[in-house]
Order: sequence, then C-alpha cells, then structure tokens
Amino acid sequence: MTVIDTSSPAPMSALRAAAVVVLIIVGFFMPRLLGGGSVAYSTLTTIAIFAVMCYGVDLVLSYLGEVSLGHTLFWAIGGYAAANLSVKYGLNGWSTALAAIALCIAAALFLGMVTLRTREFVFSLVTYAAAVVAYEIAFNWDAIGGSDGVVGIPALILPFGFATFSGLSQEDLWPVAFVLLLLTLGFIARFRRSKLGTTALMVQMNPALATSLGVDPRKIRLAVFVLSAPITGLAGWLYGYQRGYVGPDMFESYFLVLMLTAVVLVGRRILIGPLIGIALLIAQQNLLSLGGDWNKIILGSILAIVLILWPTGLVGLYRRFGKINSSK
Amino acid sequence: MSKKLSLTTFALLASLVAPAAAQDIKVGTIFPLSGGAGPDGQTVTNAVKLVVGQLNEKGGLLGRKITVISKDDESTPAVGVSRANEMISEKVDLVIEGWNSPVTLAMQPILARAGIMDITAVSKSDLILSGETNPNAVRINSSNGFDAGVIAKYIVEKLKAKKVAFLTQNDVYGNGFQTAVEAEFKKLNFSGEVTMTEKFAFKDTDFRVQLTNLKSANPDAIIVTNSSNSSGLPAMVEQYRQADIKSTFVGAVGIMLTTVFKVAGDANNGIVSADIFFPDLPPFTSIPASTDFVAAYTKAYGVAPDKSAALGAAAVQVWAKAVEATKSLDRKTVAAAIRGQAIKDTVFGDVQFLPNGQMQPRYVVFKVVDGKNAKLEAIE
Amino acid sequence: MNIAQQIINGIVLGSGYACIALGWTILLGVARLVNFAHGQLYMLGAFVAWYAITRLGLSYPLAIVVAALFLALLGALMQGAMMGLVMTQNLTSLMIVTLGLGYVIQGGSALIFGGNPHTFPGTLVRAKIDIGPLWFTWQDVLVLVVTLVLYGAVWWFTQKTRYGSVIRAVAEDSKLAGLFGINAQVVYLLVFMFECAAVAIGAALVAPRSPILTSMGFNEVIMTFVVVVVGGIGSIGGALAAGLGLGLFTAFFGAFVAHAYTTAAAFALMLVLLVVRPAGLAAK
Repeated sequence: MTVIDTSSPAPMSALRAAAVVVLIIVGFFMPRLLGGGSVAYSTLTTIAIFAVMCYGVDLVLSYLGEVSLGHTLFWAIGGYAAANLSVKYGLNGWSTALAAIALCIAAALFLGMVTLRTREFVFSLVTYAAAVVAYEIAFNWDAIGGSDGVVGIPALILPFGFATFSGLSQEDLWPVAFVLLLLTLGFIARFRRSKLGTTALMVQMNPALATSLGVDPRKIRLAVFVLSAPITGLAGWLYGYQRGYVGPDMFESYFLVLMLTAVVLVGRRILIGPLIGIALLIAQQNLLSLGGDWNKIILGSILAIVLILWPTGLVGLYRRFGKINSSK
Repeated sequence: MSKKLSLTTFALLASLVAPAAAQDIKVGTIFPLSGGAGPDGQTVTNAVKLVVGQLNEKGGLLGRKITVISKDDESTPAVGVSRANEMISEKVDLVIEGWNSPVTLAMQPILARAGIMDITAVSKSDLILSGETNPNAVRINSSNGFDAGVIAKYIVEKLKAKKVAFLTQNDVYGNGFQTAVEAEFKKLNFSGEVTMTEKFAFKDTDFRVQLTNLKSANPDAIIVTNSSNSSGLPAMVEQYRQADIKSTFVGAVGIMLTTVFKVAGDANNGIVSADIFFPDLPPFTSIPASTDFVAAYTKAYGVAPDKSAALGAAAVQVWAKAVEATKSLDRKTVAAAIRGQAIKDTVFGDVQFLPNGQMQPRYVVFKVVDGKNAKLEAIE
Repeated sequence: MNIAQQIINGIVLGSGYACIALGWTILLGVARLVNFAHGQLYMLGAFVAWYAITRLGLSYPLAIVVAALFLALLGALMQGAMMGLVMTQNLTSLMIVTLGLGYVIQGGSALIFGGNPHTFPGTLVRAKIDIGPLWFTWQDVLVLVVTLVLYGAVWWFTQKTRYGSVIRAVAEDSKLAGLFGINAQVVYLLVFMFECAAVAIGAALVAPRSPILTSMGFNEVIMTFVVVVVGGIGSIGGALAAGLGLGLFTAFFGAFVAHAYTTAAAFALMLVLLVVRPAGLAAK
C-alpha cells in the first residue's frame, strides 16, 4: 500500500463493495450477535462513540503528523452543547449537533489561527494549554454547569419529518452511534483520497517538496485541524446523550491518553486502525480490568512501547514479520 | 453399583427439590479504590462488607445469603459508568455508591434505567436527589442545607461572633455550603457581618496567600470548607497554625476525617466542627447498633470506624430493613419503604428519611481537644 | 503588613516554581523534548525521599541525594528507551511517549506506595521564623537558597565551562556539533538525567509542605509550563525570573483578585506569549 494514493480515486471493485456491505450489516447486528444484553449494547455503543472521538485525533496525527493534546476541548464542547441546549432550551438533536459542530469549528479556527506560525511542538503545547484553560472555565462557570456539571440530559430527539427518533437507552442509541461511526469512516476514507488529504501527507513526509510546489504548510495544518475538531465534537455530543450527564470530567487526561493510544496502537493511516485500537483498549478495561493502577500501567506501557519499538504500530510489526513490503 | 445408582438418583432428586434460592442476593459497591480517594473508598467498602457479614451470620436476608461485589470507579465518571454497566450485567440487587459527586451523577441514570436499587452513601451534591433521571434516589450522608444550619447556629448563638470570614473550596460543594450558611445567617437574624471570603481549589496544598489575607481581617471565626481530607485540609490546618491566626477555625460538617487527625495531629486542637457520627461520643456510645458496629469494625480492621465507614454500614442496614419489611428486592418497592419513612436500629440510631430520599442527620458539634489521638469534646 | 507578607509568600511560592522548572527548561532548550512525565517524576521523587527517611532511616539531606540519584538512574533508563526517537528528532512521538511513561510511573507508584497520604519527618517545614508580624519557615529559606545555588551552578556550568559549551552547541545544532565530534546522544542522556534529578530535588524540598499522595503531580508542576514559556525556553536566567515573578503574581492576583482563577490567568498569559512572541519557536 503506497502512502500517497493516486490522484484519481480507484473505483471500488464489486467484490470489495460487497464485502464492505456485509461488514456493515454484521457490524450493525453485532450487539445482538454478542447476546443482546445491556452490556453488549453499552460496550459497543461506547466503543463506537470513543472511536469517533479518536478519529479526530487520528486525522491530525496520522495525516498531518502533529499531536493535538487539546482534542478533549472539542470532545467537551460537543458534550456541553448537547447538555446545555437540550436541558435548558429543549432543542432537538439536530440543533444541538449543529451547535456542537459550529462551536468546535470556531474554537479550532481560533486555536489554529493563533498557532499558524509556530512549530509542531509549540502547537501541541498550545492545544494542551487551551484544554487546561477551558477546563478551568468550565469548572468555574456555573451557567454551563460548574463543577458538578449538567444532569438530566433528556432523550436524543431526531425529527425526520415523517417520523421522530427518540433515543434514551443503550439499545436506542446504538444505531445512532453506529451511523455516526460509518459516516466518520466514510469521511476519513474520502479525506485520504482528497486533495487536502494527500497534500497534508506530502507536507508531513517531505515539507521541502511541498513548499517548492507552492503549498503553504501552515494553511494545510489549519484546514486539517479545523476539519478534525467537529469529528471529536460530534462524538462528545452523542456521549452526552448516552451518559445523561456532562461535566468537567470530559477534560480529563483519561480521554486524551485513550485517544492517543488507540490511534498509535494499530498503525497510522490505516482506516479502521483507531476503531480496532479503541475496541481493544475498552475491552481490556471492561473485561480484563486488573484494577485502576494496573490499567494505568498497561495503557501507558502500550502507548510508550508501541511508539518506541514499533512506530508503525501492530500492523507494521505484522508486516515486518510477514515479510510483506512495508511502506516507508 | 446399586449404591452408586442410588447416590446419583439421590443427588438428582436433591437438586430438583432444593430451593433455587441457593442463589445469593448480590450487593454491589462502587467507590474509588485507587488514586487519592482510594483509602476513603476502601473504608466505606470495608464497612459494607462487615455489615453484610454480620447479616449473613444471622441467616442472611429473606433466607438468602448476601455476597458483595466491590468495584473501583477510580474517581473518574467514565470509569464509574463502565462499572455500573458491569453491575447491571451481573444482575446485582443493590448498588451502594458515591464518594465523588460527579461519579455518582454519571452513574445514577444508568442504574435507574436498569431498575437497580441505588443508594448513595457519601456524595453530597444536591443534584443527586433532584431531577427526573434518578427517581427513587436515597442518600445517607447529610446535605449542605442541613449542614449549614448547625454551623450557622453555632456561630450565631454559641460563639456569638461579630466578624466572620469564609475560606471556601471553589466548587459546587464549597460554594453551595457557603451560600447555605449565609442564608441561615439571615434566618437567624445574624447581627454580625461576613468580612471576607477567600477561595481555593480542591487540589491546592499551599494556602499562605489566603491565610495572610484572612489574618489581617482578624475575624472572630473562619468557616472552612475543604473536602480534601488526605492532603489539602491537613496542610491547611498546619499552615493556619503556623500563620498564628487567632480566629476560631470552624470546619464545615464532616470534613474532620481520620486522615486529617493522623496527619495534622495537635495542630487540630481548638478546631470546632460538627458531624453526624462518632465512634466514641454520645449519643452514639449509648446506641447498641452503633457500639456493636464500632467494636466489630475495630476488631476486623484495627482502627475505629469514622463517619465514612458509618455511612457505608448504614446504607446496608437501611436497605436490609426495607427489604425485610417489604419482602421485595424491587427498586421502586424498596425505595418507597425508605423515602419518607423511619428506619430503626442503624449505626446512626433510629433514623428518619425525608420524602426526597435524604436521611435526616443528627449532629453533634464538637471541639478538638487532643488532635493526635482524635479526642473530641462535644459542645452543648 | 499584608503586602509585605504577600511579597514573602510570593517569593516562597516562586522559588518553588523556579526550582521545579529548572530541569524542564534545560531539557526543552537543549533537546527540544517536552517531558510530560514531569508531574509523575515529581511525585516519585517526593516518595523516594520519603521512603529514604522513614523506611531507610536516612537523614533529610541524604534522602534528597538518594532521590536525585534514583531519579537520575530512572531517567537514564527512560532516555535509553527513547533514544531511537530522540536521534530522529521525532518530537511528536517523544511527547506521547513521555505521556505514556508518566502514566506507567503513576500506576506503578500507586501499587508500590499505596494510596495513603504520608508526611515527611525531619524537614524544616515546621521551623518557623517570625520577624515582627511576618512569618515563614526555614524550609522556605532552604528552598530559596538551594534554588539560587542550583541556578547559579547550572548557569556557571553552561556558560563558563567547556562541557557547558558542548551542551550549548548540541542545543544550537546537533548535527553540526556531531561534525565536530560531539556525541549528541550522550549529551541528551545527561540532560535528561539532570532533568529527573533536578525535579527530584525540587520535590524533596517543596513536597514536604503538605502530605504526599501517589495521585499528585499534575497540579504541582502545572506552573512549570508557564514558567518555562514566560522565561524563554532554555533560558536559565529567564526561568528564575519567571518563576519568582509567577510566584509574586500568584500571591498578588490571589490576594487582590480571585485565587480561584490564578491558574487560568497564568495559562492565558502563557497562551498569549506562545502566540505573540514565540521566541525561538517560530517555524523555520
């Protein structure tokens, strides 16, 4: 698999399309295939939501090559938008989602503009600092929830004109989470083949070449960053409805470390990499939990070891062992 | 051969005849067992296990044995939610939870939707008992509203303070308590004045800046609300003494937990506060359920139980009594037998629950006389 | 009197900030490495010092040395593991690796030392000095003196000695320095070990002010980012001035405005500086 795809997207073969359709159908019925119990639904819904959260970071990390340590900011914006607008103003799901997207884009634009001229690690520091400041604001601003947050988030209401979807339980929200995941995957797939996506890769791989071709790396970074924000934001939006409660805990490093580990674990620029990564991590925490302290050690070790020993992730490791031509 | 056959037959018949109530009643606990609040969560969990053990010795509940499943919420709401989902899949009959309010608030709707009885032992947020996403809520620990009353009463009527200042933890808990106390001051027609408010963050451990300000204001009393019993509060007490502040240190209800005495020792001497349980102060020393619990806990764990342990124990006792009275494990039925009702013979004595699920507290106002040994003296 | 005491408070707080930030600014200046495990290393340094005093029966000064040596060794191990990424200057991966290692240190320390709070016997935190109505402790004096000495020593080392110029050369341009026969790997290793040792010393001096918990760390070192950015990355004098300045800012902002927002205000200031004056940080 070459890193930079050809400029015209290769048409999907019929076989491949059929395989994708089968995968989608199986994926949709996965909770029922796993027993249909509440744990199956809640775990898979959580995995789907967290996966979408990770894809926001993935966009910046895999295609831009930079680390955003502030994506918890967008995650929180999504959650807070869903919570405050639905509880205080009774807005339906479409409105709260739109608000979440708009706010995330605005925040990303602001952060991106101010870091336009800085180097990568300063960009990371700025995103980190922004998350800290936002946490302090959210914690102290009682109007949007304060330190205890917002409780009693109502059911997710999505009017479709001919019918209205109302989802409260995990079983109800699973289709929404699944559809959101599919949309995200489709978006990322399109992005990889788009002009912006390939340009971003070129900027990451060979900045000199990019500049000589007249590409402004700073504008590319801004565009990708702004695109990545609403992805994580929408995940946070749905998380608010799933949990029924939103608070400053959305800013915790727990989510940040999960995002980063899921993205690097399987390998960068692999479409379903973050999905598999987060599924493994959530499965470990829920099914094979060794206690809070050991879980931290495991999570931190995975993150560090993968990056140190196998920077190309598990897939890179597999390739090396399988003696398949690895990508550079 | 025939012996074997008859043995097998007997076993088969026995298994058919034996009651299916070899199935235990499952009680789940979700508290922080790791991290900064780990020791506190462990204390509450230990108390729950102790009382369940006592119940089992007396034959269990409804003729069935009780098993305890304890899980760690790591003081993180997202983790608490996962644990709650696990409890649901393990089909527990009761979840006793809650050290940190945000974790409780996140878990409640999930447990409510699954129809599992949920008793909040320690978390203090008012939101826990309000809102439609957590009907049938029950909470053992006292709420800011009642706490404020007893502290305000002491300041106004006992201490007769003219100038009062606040040193408040800057979150909903701290700010809420201060607001409640100020409201109580109005109700009691407080003739003194609140001269200063200083705030700090829960995680802070250095308070010189605020203490310097407070010292120069020189109020008669400083009302301190700090729930960081493992690090911030003991440090604050020591720095308070180092700054040589003469004002009376009046602690909010329930903040003087074991770790504060252990770490700050004699610096605590002279602190006035109130709480809803003491292992060695009246009236608890004359309540049989209480002295039994203190003796058993001390024997099992080597230390006297503090208020947190008492909350865990009472949660089990209250629930057990409601289950016995209604002969049911159903959430709505059991909750109805607690909310608005009186329950007898808990470690707190005979208790009354308000219709919203709040256990009505009985306070003892105390002064610390020997901080190193956690010796207290009741006031009035 | 209030103002005078707040000035003392500010200096006390500020010397703590500066002490904890010294290693971090050197590391960032020389190796461009953002060490996100700084908070957990601080916590571990405090616990090792505590362990040395209470379980090994060592005296306080000796415990500080033990903590510094132990953490320097740990730093060597960490740096050795990360060396591949350091040499390829893969800054983004390095940041994430330190984030992960910080998590491991946190979980590991919690398993080893447990969740209970601990206090330091044998320090000077309770030895008060009263000058009229003003007060501080001998521990505060110790922190200030050690901080100044450390900063002086590091400044003299980097500016006045041959080894110091080697380090500055690597900081400027590691490839060019390599052409002159300087082994950048060794320099990076030593600088990382220094960072760990310095934060251990800072922890052993500052942490005794309050009970230590294995969950601490983030809050205690959060000002470090601000100190380093405000003072100028890699600037020794800048870090000292910024540390003391931030201490005074904390005291006065807290005393006269609102203590609750000090962190947010400091971070907002840092954000503004990062954007407006990214000295030495602008894209090439």
